[in-house]
Amino acid sequence: MNYDFDWFYVKKGLPKLLEGLMVTLELTLWANAIGLVLGFLVALGMLTRIRLITWPLTAYIEFFRCTPALIQLVWFFFCVPILFNVWWSAEFMGILALGLNLAAFNAEAYRASIQSIPTAQTDACTALGLNVVQRIIFVILPQALLLSLPVLITNGIGIFQQSALVALISVQDLMYEGRYLATQTFRPIETLTTVALLYFAVSFPVSQMVTFVERRTSRLLQN
Amino acid sequence: MSFVKIDKLVKRYGSLSIFDGFDLAMENTDRLVLIGPSGCGKSTLLRCMMGLEDIAGGTIRLGDETYVEGAENGKMKLNRKVQKEVGMVFQHYTLFPHLSVLGNLCLAPVRSRGIGKAEAKDKAMDLLTRFGLADRAEFYPSQLSGGQKQRVAIARALMLDPKLMLFDEVTSALDPELVNEVENTMMALAEAGMPMMIVTHDMFFARNIATQVVFQERGKVIEAAPPEELFGNPREERTRNFLRNVLHIEG
Repeated sequence: MNYDFDWFYVKKGLPKLLEGLMVTLELTLWANAIGLVLGFLVALGMLTRIRLITWPLTAYIEFFRCTPALIQLVWFFFCVPILFNVWWSAEFMGILALGLNLAAFNAEAYRASIQSIPTAQTDACTALGLNVVQRIIFVILPQALLLSLPVLITNGIGIFQQSALVALISVQDLMYEGRYLATQTFRPIETLTTVALLYFAVSFPVSQMVTFVERRTSRLLQN
Repeated sequence: MSFVKIDKLVKRYGSLSIFDGFDLAMENTDRLVLIGPSGCGKSTLLRCMMGLEDIAGGTIRLGDETYVEGAENGKMKLNRKVQKEVGMVFQHYTLFPHLSVLGNLCLAPVRSRGIGKAEAKDKAMDLLTRFGLADRAEFYPSQLSGGQKQRVAIARALMLDPKLMLFDEVTSALDPELVNEVENTMMALAEAGMPMMIVTHDMFFARNIATQVVFQERGKVIEAAPPEELFGNPREERTRNFLRNVLHIEG
């Protein structure tokens, strides 16, 4: 390899990259807000076992889990405006698509955690005279949420990475700014490496945190 | 009129019949210990009394109120007000792992009985002090030994002032050296006059704590007698066989 590294343009373009990172973080936070709340509601809906509710929810979950995030994003960006005659910004469409995608995965995480709480806990509640609502609110859900925390964080940071796809619908995120800078300066190696490192710098501490949280929750919840 | 009366209890799991017309009575001065081979329905009986099992027939009475009335097809009637007067401790602790010891004790009194937080906490601390667990109040269940967990579970049940306590193999999951502390706690409770129904495989403990021992096999009471009699001079052949097996006595 005979390549002279030149970091001048990356240094010069760094503020723009950081601006892109802020957009990426903003997308991630909104998508996670949707994913955490909607995912929870979907999981509760699934647990009602009422077919009128569970069938559409199952269709939603499976659709978003079994198609690429890229096609979901592009579909929202191109098809929703035509089908529903609404013209929202690319960024909003990106948040919507990523949020719905994350909610589908989170719903499964919540549901699995709720169902993994041993029935002995339910028996103990009955023996203590707690009714169904008290049992769910004070015993089952707190444990289920703790249990699902590692998966929720993993999914959330996954969406941070997936959000790079929004560059394709011209949202000016980190990926978009990185590609722009790379082509403008003819310095793809320096630029794209920097972009990758920025993604890594955010993701890595969070994924380390998952290990920590996992250890803590599993120790707490062992019985 | 007896304190507890089980009448013609019918319990099935699918096509498997556990009880088909089971009767049992107990006085409020009694500590009834149920013994018998695995799968004879001892634990199921306690679960029925706690209202945890759907029974297909028969009635269970506590004091002067019938609170469980069995019926086919899940139409069992359960009087929750009376059910709340029964306390139960399980084999596998079943403490709430996300709450501290104090949190475990106070949850039901505060949330389901409307007792003030401060009052519940005082009562919890009194109980924990009595049980020698006051210094564990802020601990989480995962930080306790099996014996401590089980004593916390007993304290948690006592928070609700039960009129009858059910103990379902509460020492079976414990390491042998931890069994004593739990059994001592139960003995102290017995001396304080708490009516109890106990399922155990520990025959020596059964002999010590029981006022009445019930030997049960295949969903039927084979023999019921005070411990000296049942262990010392069992009338039924099947009781003798069972005791020979569990006590490893030759001949």
